[in-house]
Amino acid sequence: MKTRVVALVIASAILISACSSKDPKSPSAAAGSPSSNYAKLSATLNASGSTFQAALEEAAKAGFLEVAPKVTVNYGGGGSGKGKTDLQGQVVDFAGSDSLIKPEDKPLYKGGDVLYFPIAAAPITLAYQLDGVSKLNLSADTIAKIFEAQITKWDDPAIKADNPDATLPSTPIVAVHRAEGSGTTSNFTGFLTKAAPTAWTLGKGDTVNWPSSTQAGAGNQGVAQLIGNGTGTLKGTNGAIGYVDFADAKATNLKTASIKNAAGKFIAPSLAGVAAALDQTTPAADLTYDPLNAAGDATYPIATPTWILVYKNQTDKAKGEALKGFLNFLLTDGQALNEPANYAKLPAKYRTLAIAQLKSLVIPA
Amino acid sequence: MSTAAIPAPSLQATDTSRSRKLRNHLATGFIWATFLAAALPLAFIVFYVVRAGMRLFSYDFLVTNIPIISAQPGPGMAPAVVGTLLITGAATAIAVPLGVLGAVYLNEYGRRGALATFIRLMTDVMSGVPSVVMGLFIYTIWVLRYGLSGFAGALALACLMLPIIVRTSEEMLRLVPAGLREASAALGCRTWRTTVRIVLPAALPGIVSGAMLAVARAAGETAPLLFTIGVVSKPNTSLFGANTALSAQIFKNAQVPFPAAQDRAWAAALTLILLVFVLTLAARVVSARFARK
Amino acid sequence: MSSLPDLVSTRSRGRLADEAFRIASLLAGLAILVVLVLIAVTMLHSAWPAFREAGLSFFTSREWVPNEGKFGALAFIFGTGVVATIAVAVAVPISVGIALFVTEVAPTRLRVVVVSVMDLLAGIPSVVFGLWGILVLAPNIVDVYDAVSRGVNPIPVLSELFNGTQTGRSFFTAGLILAVMITPIITSVTREVFATVPRNDKDGALALGATRWEMVKGVVFPHSVGGMVGATMLGLGRAMGETIAVALVVGSTPQITANLFSSGDTMPSVIAFQFGEAAGTHRAALVALGVTLFAMTIVVNVAARMIVGRVDLRMRGAV
Repeated sequence: MKTRVVALVIASAILISACSSKDPKSPSAAAGSPSSNYAKLSATLNASGSTFQAALEEAAKAGFLEVAPKVTVNYGGGGSGKGKTDLQGQVVDFAGSDSLIKPEDKPLYKGGDVLYFPIAAAPITLAYQLDGVSKLNLSADTIAKIFEAQITKWDDPAIKADNPDATLPSTPIVAVHRAEGSGTTSNFTGFLTKAAPTAWTLGKGDTVNWPSSTQAGAGNQGVAQLIGNGTGTLKGTNGAIGYVDFADAKATNLKTASIKNAAGKFIAPSLAGVAAALDQTTPAADLTYDPLNAAGDATYPIATPTWILVYKNQTDKAKGEALKGFLNFLLTDGQALNEPANYAKLPAKYRTLAIAQLKSLVIPA
Repeated sequence: MSTAAIPAPSLQATDTSRSRKLRNHLATGFIWATFLAAALPLAFIVFYVVRAGMRLFSYDFLVTNIPIISAQPGPGMAPAVVGTLLITGAATAIAVPLGVLGAVYLNEYGRRGALATFIRLMTDVMSGVPSVVMGLFIYTIWVLRYGLSGFAGALALACLMLPIIVRTSEEMLRLVPAGLREASAALGCRTWRTTVRIVLPAALPGIVSGAMLAVARAAGETAPLLFTIGVVSKPNTSLFGANTALSAQIFKNAQVPFPAAQDRAWAAALTLILLVFVLTLAARVVSARFARK
Repeated sequence: MSSLPDLVSTRSRGRLADEAFRIASLLAGLAILVVLVLIAVTMLHSAWPAFREAGLSFFTSREWVPNEGKFGALAFIFGTGVVATIAVAVAVPISVGIALFVTEVAPTRLRVVVVSVMDLLAGIPSVVFGLWGILVLAPNIVDVYDAVSRGVNPIPVLSELFNGTQTGRSFFTAGLILAVMITPIITSVTREVFATVPRNDKDGALALGATRWEMVKGVVFPHSVGGMVGATMLGLGRAMGETIAVALVVGSTPQITANLFSSGDTMPSVIAFQFGEAAGTHRAALVALGVTLFAMTIVVNVAARMIVGRVDLRMRGAV
């Protein structure tokens, strides 16, 4: 009896103190004009989806919390596939996705029409761990053959052709891809379909039929964990190479390769390279766009778009207002958070179109 | 009678052959080795969890929110602690009364009848249902209709706990001597009164201890919660609306390359182990202390 | 002299409460049946589209490509089988040894320590095993696997079974961790079975001059074969259904291969990872995997209980 009472007391104490829990110190958002409109918003927004934009979502959450303290955003990640599925079942209020909804899937979205809001773009890097090699150039054909398991060792002639000055060891290659349905995969395979049409035979999609001698990681972060940088808990695997978003590759201190772009130049992943790609691309009427393998000398070829998907017809007033506020923040003051989080800002023409699209959100009175 | 010739029988140990002795020693050595084979991984794992978990484990850890930027170092799993306690508590509140009452039927009313035997068989079947299947089940019948919530997670956990509680409670009830029931009946008590006033109190320590073990198991479960509770970054003390739990957070953080997040996972693992340890110990104490009476 | 209790009025007053209580407990007992039936019905209903579309090829095809609508579960069934077999192969000798340790070899004080150690092991949540497996065991076991692979390279069959690893996440790693997890249950059941061996038989063997090991071999084992088989099957059932620890360390690469050190995938782990994003036929296929897994574990568990139960009855008669 006593044990039970004591346990109950301890549990209640923890519960009570946790209710009034503390927040850890978070980095303050860039200075923007605090809008009093934001402060009135109050709701809990549940979301899931792309892990490519997860790092940006975190920065945005922190920043938005400072101007709209009564809005809680819960972003569950899980991959673009999960985000889209959750949105179909109206299990979440918005979804993060780096890939588009397939036309045949449109009827599955119970809430009707879905709007795309671009929020940022970033490079997909080819991150690798290889003892003794700190600079690596890769062309699309070579990448295609690596991920189709036709190139199995690092000293293969194809890789040597891309890197005439480097000494490459004969370590076996461990190619890492995503285990779940991923917009990052969709963009990576989309790039290969465009830039290496003969070498790449697996098509484009959120999932493709990877050869069984490759490895799978869960989320961009899982892939980064598998590649690793050889130190301590981030040991990873020597000889591994995989596609990881820029933010996570940087956060994990992974080495990244320079990719040959459409103009024949090897460009290292950078926000400037993505900005150059965005300048070459024009968004469609529904704000979707494809900056992969864009023209231009300074363009990074695997520039990846990412969107927030919401239903045009919102069913809940408080949530609808909060969602509109959050999107507005992301497209205006929140853009200042992009670069510190390792994402490229949207060029003005994208932002204008997106802010204009905000008006078409139907929120009940 | 001649006193010579027949030698006295030797009462010393018989001379077992060398090879038999050797085999015996080898076998004994093997048996000791198996104990080490089980104890060593346990020691490794617990030691590692304690060492890695102590880096962040503190009172602060239990009450600070999860940092929004997951790569950022810093303590805090408050929402997960609240979630685990809340969801496990709710699951217990559902499973224990139902389970004990079911065990009462099996032992006091049904006994060896066809229905009771069938229920017992089905209880065994249910205890073998993989935890991920329970999660799928609750997702299909509850989450799709009412959304992600701590309550859905509690339902899934209750389904996992129910067969365990029924089985252990029934065993405890069976151990109560028939004489007690007969005496009570002889004094004019109806079955329900006998059960409630006499049998249950007698079996209570065993039932409580069994329930605590079921709770300990449920607190550590992850798969049923994966599709049912969602995720939050601030504590949610209501059963409705998304929630998170220590086990789900550990699963998530195990797959990221950020040392800060991994540290939080180790500390959360330590918290879980401590919780399970406390419950198991309490279960032992309860059953040992009251059983003597 | 006090009056006798009034039996007539007690009867009518208490009858309602008794009936109510009986019905309440009957309903509680039926709750289990209801839940099980619900599980079976809803899962079959959700899985049906996948079964219908794939037909028998669901079980015989090894192609699992959700994007193209191909759902063949063979690779996952294979993976579940391999991982569970490795787990049981490693765990059973250890569990039997520990059970013998407790019942025959250990001094009394050590007995309590061992039982406590087993209880502690049983209480560690699966996700903690998974965390340790993915962050500590898998990265550090790569060198061990490579050394073993190099060592058995010349030997024909073994060189196929142990053929190098990429990241340490593999069938074998998952099997090892599972072995640690199922040891407590196999040990506990085996211990109970060993405890029912009649004292007289054991003492008799010893009195005839047998060494302790010979006594175990000649008396304890024959007596307990059924129980040990049952315990093994219980462990097997548990190993097949284990989700989280396996999901983290098995590598999520569905394939059928002889190399135990290579990555693979199992039914519960693919459900755990892919369910969140699955829709339509993909989701139905995952539920179908769940149904298959459920069916397999039911068969194993029921068979195990029957074997252990029969042994139990036999023992009660003997003692």
